[in-house]
Amino acid sequence: MLIINCPYCGERDQSEFSNGGQAHVARPSDPEKLNDKEWSEYVFVRSNPKGIFFERWVHSHGCRKWFNAVRNTATDEILKIYKLNEKPPSLDEFTNNLKTPSGEPELGSGNFTVKK
Amino acid sequence: MSSINNTKSFHLISSQKVSFTFDGKKITGFKGDTIASALLRNNINLVGRSFKYHRPRGIYTCGIEEPNALVQIISEHNEPNARATVKRIYEGMIVESQNRWPSLKMDIGAVNNLLSPIFSAGFYYKTFMGPKGFWKKIYEPIIRKTAGLGKPPKEFRSKSTHHHHNVDVVIVGGGISGLIAALKFIDTNYDVLIIEQDSFLGGTLNNSKKIKEINGLDTIEWIKKTEDLISKSKNIKILKDTTVSSYNYSNHLIALEDKAVGSLPPNYKPELVLHKIRTQHTILANGYIERILSFRNNDLPGVMLAGSFEKFIHRYGVVPETNPIIFTNNSSTFSLLKSLVELNCKPSAYVDNREENSIEKSTLDYLKNNNILFYTGAEVEGCDGRNIIREAFIRHKGNIIKLKTNMLCVSGGINPDVNLFTQSKGLIKWDDNLFTFKPENAFQNTIVIGSASGNFNFQKLNDEIKNKLNFLKGVNDTKIEIISNVENDYNISEIWDIKPEKESLWSKSFIDIQNDVTVKDLRQAITEGFDRIEHLKRFTTNSMGTDQGKISSINSLGIVSKILNKSVEEVGTTIYRPPFAPLSFSAIAGRNTYEFYDPKRKTPIHSWHIDNNAVFEDVGQWKRPWYFKNKKGETMHQAVQRESKQLRESAGILDGSTLGKIEVKGKDALEFMNLMYTNAFTKMKPMTSRYVLMLGEDGMIKDDGIVSKINDQHFIATTTTGGAPKVLADMEEYAQTEWPNLEVYMNSITEQFSTFNISGPKSRAIMRKVFSNIDFSNEKFPFMTFNNFKYLDTEVRIMRASFTGELGYEIYIPPKYALELWKKIFHSGKNLGLVPYGTETMHLLRAEKGYIVVGQDTDGTVTPIDLNLNWMIGKNKKDFIGKRSLSRFDTAREDRKQLVGILPLDKNKKILEGQHILEINKLPKKVETPIEYLGHVTSSYHSPNLKHFVAMALVKGGKKLMGKKVYVSDPSKSETIPVEIVNPVFLDPKNKRLLS
Repeated sequence: MLIINCPYCGERDQSEFSNGGQAHVARPSDPEKLNDKEWSEYVFVRSNPKGIFFERWVHSHGCRKWFNAVRNTATDEILKIYKLNEKPPSLDEFTNNLKTPSGEPELGSGNFTVKK
Repeated sequence: MSSINNTKSFHLISSQKVSFTFDGKKITGFKGDTIASALLRNNINLVGRSFKYHRPRGIYTCGIEEPNALVQIISEHNEPNARATVKRIYEGMIVESQNRWPSLKMDIGAVNNLLSPIFSAGFYYKTFMGPKGFWKKIYEPIIRKTAGLGKPPKEFRSKSTHHHHNVDVVIVGGGISGLIAALKFIDTNYDVLIIEQDSFLGGTLNNSKKIKEINGLDTIEWIKKTEDLISKSKNIKILKDTTVSSYNYSNHLIALEDKAVGSLPPNYKPELVLHKIRTQHTILANGYIERILSFRNNDLPGVMLAGSFEKFIHRYGVVPETNPIIFTNNSSTFSLLKSLVELNCKPSAYVDNREENSIEKSTLDYLKNNNILFYTGAEVEGCDGRNIIREAFIRHKGNIIKLKTNMLCVSGGINPDVNLFTQSKGLIKWDDNLFTFKPENAFQNTIVIGSASGNFNFQKLNDEIKNKLNFLKGVNDTKIEIISNVENDYNISEIWDIKPEKESLWSKSFIDIQNDVTVKDLRQAITEGFDRIEHLKRFTTNSMGTDQGKISSINSLGIVSKILNKSVEEVGTTIYRPPFAPLSFSAIAGRNTYEFYDPKRKTPIHSWHIDNNAVFEDVGQWKRPWYFKNKKGETMHQAVQRESKQLRESAGILDGSTLGKIEVKGKDALEFMNLMYTNAFTKMKPMTSRYVLMLGEDGMIKDDGIVSKINDQHFIATTTTGGAPKVLADMEEYAQTEWPNLEVYMNSITEQFSTFNISGPKSRAIMRKVFSNIDFSNEKFPFMTFNNFKYLDTEVRIMRASFTGELGYEIYIPPKYALELWKKIFHSGKNLGLVPYGTETMHLLRAEKGYIVVGQDTDGTVTPIDLNLNWMIGKNKKDFIGKRSLSRFDTAREDRKQLVGILPLDKNKKILEGQHILEINKLPKKVETPIEYLGHVTSSYHSPNLKHFVAMALVKGGKKLMGKKVYVSDPSKSETIPVEIVNPVFLDPKNKRLLS
């Protein structure tokens, strides 16, 4: 179980939080101006990368505040946490020396246990 | 030849005698004995029957890794699969063997052994393929009865609890490495937790005489002194009888403590404690596990791991057999040989697979000087016996030598216990000298020391630990001097399985003793194409079960690598998963059982409902009256028909306190509500209410309710009972993430107000009697308006609204006053025919009126347009959640499933919910192509007021099918029911009753 550092309450167990999916997908300000495809992309399409992911969390069994986090989905390491009104960090900040479990590649499937 | 007591080493058990029963027979051991050591002390070797073939099985090991000696503890809620090698005895304990009938010695299931050709690898998948239905009704019950291990307890209330720890360092294992590491932290600033699976520290130091002295002290003295030093240090805590079962991300460890070792679990205290530990650094000093060798009948009672045999001698003071044969391929067994000779017990033979030139000279000299029969470069080909080993066959220089014996001690080498390390996502690497896996790279803050890291040399231990802990600031420098009794270097020859001299149905070489997997099964599985180790495991069940193949999984990799002609690294291992040792469900559940796990929520009127024979329905966590039993023997159908009829004739009262209520306030509350709901609130007058819909961004209905506008800055919304938490969470999410510019606040007030719904033609008269000072006339109190009124020393809010289609009122009152008011209303309404009704009647009445229930008539794929609720959509609003989706091509299709009414042409016909709407009258006898269906029935009730079934359905293009004759399927017959598609409003379409 992860420890998540709520920017309002401090470090708490993951069980107090709920994940809210990809961050920085802003709701279009004038949906009527979008065509079906553009609107569908907002409603249905989210990315699901292996590696660095900007995502939203809410401290649902705590202060009930939403905030953003940068997580390495390959290792579940939370690399950064920032408030909604804070500027998102740049991707470059995290891409160097990414550690994966068992030294497996950053991309692609597989969970190796044995070093060859 | 039998067992003797080793009176020299009784330091871990006392001389106090303890009696227990095993299969009804009284057995006496000493306090501190495990079931296994007490049985061996009494020369009992046969303790169980195997999983699949029901072969006789004995005690194979002396610890947590035991595959065979699993017993049922009758005196502890029938606890199944207790390891006899771990479980301590106490006076009056009742133990039974498992998986045998009628008795351990005479087991009928043993016939399976002769049927073994059909029980080979993958037999479940192959043998029980058909006919249809046989698996569930015949095969599975039979297999469940004959295969398997112990029987689970029938009911058990957990007395376990959970503890949380936050520390700097966790040391897993209190053996020599763990203790040396702990010494480095004495009186430092580190918060340290030592976790030891046994009741005492020292680990393998208690198992053998490999080490003569440490720092000039006898090993037992050194353990005592070290424990004393550690206990005095305030920053170190020791948890004994505690086994770490998993090592998760974020250095989170889970360990299970047994609070009732060697005693009956207390009635009033937790018997198991689950420790949840957060740490900065984890030091794994969890040692090694000895492995087996596969030879013919290596599962016979009397065959035991050599290290375990030695453990019984020194820990429990029992020599299981005075003259065993020792069969080894490595140097670790020399100390057993020495221990036996020093106790005047001479092994009847010493069989070493290593060639003479690679065996330590000291060992060879010792064998010669003590006149022990020994063979080098030899192997045990197999053994024979019925319920215990009688003869062993040694293959030496091409000859087979037959030796009589009662016991055979086997060692196939030792493995660092990498289970927790790989659970932490650490990487392991094959070692070509040790023939085992060793930890290589840690992924988390993990330090592996001692034999767990593959260091089997005691002399190097102190330097290793010093180097590995060096990076921690402020740790103590410790001096440890170790004098050994044996050679320090570990040496092993590569051997995995031994070719049998003869083959028969009885003769088998096992690789996984618990799951009855043989070497032959591995070969067969590979031949059939399961050559990937993860596939092989699932197909053969190799290294599954309660022991997870602890003593044999490396062997199976060795064997597979030889068959495939690959290196073990290429074969790889299966992934080690938690738990390391079996974890009781009661420990995981802890205190979170029954009402503590799932609280029952009751309304303030609950006691009245009970007094009036309510039958309750669970709605979320709430207990809601489903219907009220008027008299004895009244069925649910009768009750609901009575309640529904009486309400439409006079009046009814419903406890609606469970409805979700959310208060929304703030400068921008109006704009916020306009965005959240489909309805337009701008032109709505203050102190009026509206039926509302909330959509998802996909345009589908998520929830409904009533919104009351007090003014533009203050709204109160009701939600469905089950939807309340989600609606509040969604409001908060949008307010925080999408529209932080809006000044708006929201809060749940569900529990702050009790709600009653009073409806029916007589409801106005009843309200007048209860609230004599309020004008309930249509002019002063029209439909969908509300107001606050003084009541006693509080306020009630009364709203004119209805979910039944009748004239109706909703009363909101603080819960403190609720029961009293309820009784008052009921008393006042009695003479006017007021009936209490439950959720079922509510559902029936709203169906007569064509009102929907979210979650019953909708399922997340239904838009307001599909439900003919276009009038609820604020089309002039620029935006609201889901608005854009309503014009999306798929949502705007005209042939979507739409809500219609279903009227049976024969008024006596019954329509069932969930049935298909079909265009054809008769179902074909044999269905060759799928039958097209138009939709399904979402709601159906027998209306006592209309005297026929009223039903609603979602039907493709239903709006255009009004008046069409279609058919509803009937699951009990092949015939269908002819119905007409009609408007779903069956009763009072002009709203005369509603607005009366």
